[in-house]
Amino acid sequence: MRNRVISALAGAALLLGGTVAAHAQDALERVTAAGVLKVGTETAFAPFDFIDAGTHTGLNMDVFAEIGKELGVEIEWVTLDWAGVLPGLEAGQFDMVAGPATVTAARMERYRFTPPIAEATVALLKSAKDDSITKPEDIAGKAVGAGHATAQLAQLIAYGETLPTAPEAKEYVSFNEAYADLAAGRIAGVANSLPNIAFVAQQRPEVFAVVEPAFGTKTYFAYPGLKDDDHASLMDAIDAAILKMKGDGRLADLQQKWFGTTFDTPDAVTEPNI
Amino acid sequence: MSWKLFSLLLEASLMTIFVSTISILIGLVLAILLSAANLSGIRPLQWGGKFFISFFRGTPLLVQLLLLYNLLPVMGIQMPSLATAILGLSLCTAAYQAENLRGGFEGVPRGLVESADMAGFSPAQTFFHIRVPIALRLTLPALINEAILILKASSLVSVVGLVELTRMAQNLVASTFMPLELYASAGLIYLVINLTVAVLGRQLEQRLPGAPAK
Amino acid sequence: MNFDLNVILSKQDELLYGIAVTIFVWVVGTLASAALGFVIATARRYGGVLVDRALAVPVEVIRGTPFLVQLFLLYFGGPYIGLSLDALPAGLLALSIYGSAYFSEIFRAGYQSVPPGHVEAAETLGFTRGQVIRVILLPEMALLVLPPSVNMAIILLKETALLSLITVPEMTMTASAIGSQEYAFVEAMLLLALTYWILVELAGLLGRLAEKKLSRYRLAKA
Repeated sequence: MRNRVISALAGAALLLGGTVAAHAQDALERVTAAGVLKVGTETAFAPFDFIDAGTHTGLNMDVFAEIGKELGVEIEWVTLDWAGVLPGLEAGQFDMVAGPATVTAARMERYRFTPPIAEATVALLKSAKDDSITKPEDIAGKAVGAGHATAQLAQLIAYGETLPTAPEAKEYVSFNEAYADLAAGRIAGVANSLPNIAFVAQQRPEVFAVVEPAFGTKTYFAYPGLKDDDHASLMDAIDAAILKMKGDGRLADLQQKWFGTTFDTPDAVTEPNI
Repeated sequence: MSWKLFSLLLEASLMTIFVSTISILIGLVLAILLSAANLSGIRPLQWGGKFFISFFRGTPLLVQLLLLYNLLPVMGIQMPSLATAILGLSLCTAAYQAENLRGGFEGVPRGLVESADMAGFSPAQTFFHIRVPIALRLTLPALINEAILILKASSLVSVVGLVELTRMAQNLVASTFMPLELYASAGLIYLVINLTVAVLGRQLEQRLPGAPAK
Repeated sequence: MNFDLNVILSKQDELLYGIAVTIFVWVVGTLASAALGFVIATARRYGGVLVDRALAVPVEVIRGTPFLVQLFLLYFGGPYIGLSLDALPAGLLALSIYGSAYFSEIFRAGYQSVPPGHVEAAETLGFTRGQVIRVILLPEMALLVLPPSVNMAIILLKETALLSLITVPEMTMTASAIGSQEYAFVEAMLLLALTYWILVELAGLLGRLAEKKLSRYRLAKA
């Protein structure tokens, strides 16, 4: 009896109370009702998604601004390290993912992808001063960086196995750290998709150069979401918005703005090359 | 480094201060409740408290945050990044503060508790009006130390999607390639905040009744 | 969620390698921290006021800033001043510098705890300074220094998790890679937390055993 109040208080401390979200509506209805589409992304993936002098910017911002208009909702961004983004989607921290992610067979088993928004074929970025690398094969035996838990890293490793001596694949929390290490001379190259490294090389031509041609097979970037029934109508609506943007030329304009070129992408990837 | 970049860091440090302050306060409340559990004499509560303290002191905050962020939604608990960051820091600091408070509660003179009982205080009254204030006073230096630890530990909350001082520096490094200047500046801002907390803490320590004689 | 630890455990070789890297970095980093901390504390005690003040500055700077920022500054900023270290040596160096600041304070308190009379007595007996430190100061402060040292070692173990952020392939990095490849992130993080927890409890246990042994030894001698 004596300690009843104290123990009641202590009991309260040990109970981690939480509110359980109601799941009566489907994802699209919830998003429309809230007026907010929550999108998870990483901000270390220029020119798709990056921080320019403190401001979150990139192709993703522009594309999702248009998607938001089509759906009549605001976009709320949740920014994480890439390795945490897809787990965050599955945990339900956001409605879908920007990124974008390379469409791969393994990912398609798990996620549903929007129509592609750009090409994702992997190529090599090297130091502008490095004359020892003129073609992709020259990275044999050298240290090459890529982002942790990315399709680009997987392609680098797969390509490395075809070379006489495999390059040492170094994993970074994000591609930004890999670029920094390339600039610092710790690694000889960074394997990332062509639109990304073309942008980086164009931003800092005195530091970086792209090694042509791309070594990876042809792949595409798209936005992943969940495959379940709950998210089907939401993903349908987003697919429709992107196809509409493709049809009226808005997507091409944005590609031109961010990549200086446009991509001829299919409306859907059904048989990814990797 | 330009003033523009430095001012962005300063702005982001407000988030660091905000998240840390709230977490320290919530952590203090939780720590008092954990102490209550320990003093309750009820075995399951004591074990629960011990388990909590052992887990949150026995694992890295980075791992706790990643776990919390991905586990809570699976358990049906949805909360935004800011709330997750505060919850993660609060739970972690609660474990450390409870451990600090334990020493404080042991330092409460037994006679004082007994005379409060005799004066007709209920156990809760004795706990909140006698034990807690004395334990807090006794452990004030440890609390200030813990505040500084949490300010530093808050550099990890970017893994749950919050942009604070360290993540802002990281973001700016990505576009400017000036890691030396930016991380040194971020460090300087942390240092100024922490020295301020230390100085204010020392003054508080001296002004409150019960300060050690000079 | 399908809770499935097997997909994680099937990668046990990678996991064990990650654990080995963590333990290696931790043990080497802690020993280096303690050694460097001891040197700093000794220099501050015997090097005169100037050395004491000069060393107080870096110690306070390190104690007043997050380890993560120090780590990033060394690893990403280092190459700009000609210090281009690989991830593992950079991580070890950062951890050792960070730990040494805290260890130096532990040893400083230890030095202060020894009654000046003991030192004076030894000096009158003609002991050299090295002998005083070895024969009087170290044994006398050992019991006082041990518990905070064990505590610091445990803090350093937890800090090694941050090395994953500069690509050191320790167990946090390994677990998060496996977790995201195998779509079992929560399971991976749970297993990771459990592993740290076990290591921390083991370290604490060893520390308490050492303390017991030491105090018995001291009592026996007294």
